[in-house]
Amino acid sequence: MARRDDVLGVTGAETVIGAGVTIEGSLISEADISIDGTMHGGDIKTTGDLTIGVNAKIKANIWALNISVAGELDGSIIAEGEATIRETGRVTGDITSAGLAIVSGGIFSGRSIVHRQRELDLPRPDDTEPERRPPVKIRRL
Amino acid sequence: MYYYIVNPAAGGAQNKALQEKLRSRLDQLGIRGEWVKTTAPGEATNLAAAAAAKGHTTIVAVGGDDTVNEVVNGVTEHEGLAVGIIPLGSTNRLATQLGITSWQQACEVLAARRLTSYSLIAAGQKYFLSTLTLGFETDLDKNVDTTATGWRARVGQLRAGWGHARNYQTLRCRINVDDQFKLDCSVFSLSIANQKFLNPLADNRLVVALSDHPGRQLQLGNYVWQMLHSRIGRGTNPATASFAEDAATTRFLAQRVVIETEPVTGIMVDGKVAGRTPIAIRLTDRHVRFITEKVVADFKDAVGPRSK
Repeated sequence: MARRDDVLGVTGAETVIGAGVTIEGSLISEADISIDGTMHGGDIKTTGDLTIGVNAKIKANIWALNISVAGELDGSIIAEGEATIRETGRVTGDITSAGLAIVSGGIFSGRSIVHRQRELDLPRPDDTEPERRPPVKIRRL
Repeated sequence: MYYYIVNPAAGGAQNKALQEKLRSRLDQLGIRGEWVKTTAPGEATNLAAAAAAKGHTTIVAVGGDDTVNEVVNGVTEHEGLAVGIIPLGSTNRLATQLGITSWQQACEVLAARRLTSYSLIAAGQKYFLSTLTLGFETDLDKNVDTTATGWRARVGQLRAGWGHARNYQTLRCRINVDDQFKLDCSVFSLSIANQKFLNPLADNRLVVALSDHPGRQLQLGNYVWQMLHSRIGRGTNPATASFAEDAATTRFLAQRVVIETEPVTGIMVDGKVAGRTPIAIRLTDRHVRFITEKVVADFKDAVGPRSK
């Protein structure tokens, strides 16, 4: 059990960006990220979950395990798990995910590609099929 | 062999009487060693460095946070050393964070000799272990005298702190994080701590926590109360007293941050003014092994990912 004095929340979301904070650059993490601020450009990449809060205005491409959008996002989403657009969420960009949920009121403008769970993982060497290349025409000079 | 560096001025007159009892208890536990007293501020650094050079394997700071920080700054070149604390100062936040709350307990802890390694944090040219703050907290110490005791003094401190908090102008702050991203925000209070001090299962990493001006009066009052409480050595670490649950609070992990503020402001390391902005703060690869009370089993196993 976590101690009572663990108020900083090292056991919870690792990165929390509050409302009123502006970020420039790329946010890369191996744990959960929660953003309620503004981000111009760059990427957000995490192997954990990503939560975009109701006050957030994000212009970035994002990669995460599961993604929940309650604010504004202008950029593409790649989620290994599920992507959810909440009531107040607005996404402009393509979404690639294992599942997509848009709650009534949520706005999505872009293409959606639904893949099987874990499909985005890199294939193991013994799983890979030999690459099939188109026949090459050789013209003798 | 144990080497005790005693700050005779720490904690006031009542601690002078304690020193005989303390030495007697250390005798009983079989860990009595060399005993030296400091005569001026900063001397503990030189004494610790000299003791380490002479081959002492355990150096114990007998005093408050200042004494501990001075000892730590003296042993940064000697990683095999163990550092212990007997908290007799007026502020003993470092000891509290290591789970040591009284001199009697500290003696038992020293005898048990449970070691935990912590990375040192560098703020400019100075090394520290635990917490760096800037913003309201730093100004609070300049404006409110927290040394007085008694309930009347406490009420006066709370009133002064409340007045200061209400009129405090937030700082415009720009933070470069690991040269990866930059944050631009207004800051009421900012603190940087070593994550491992909060949870020994976690990796050594900087936890940067900052909050905007708390809008609601109840939150502000609660904040001032926690700050004052921590100043008198009974409360939580200032780093943990930020508004973690509030939506305006931001926190993240880092190895190195560069902080610029507008206007320029002072920073405080473990409760003592230690520089001004702009300042670079980084986690170093230098470690200090502390003799600590914290039992790893008390902490949750899943503390987030380990750095690679």
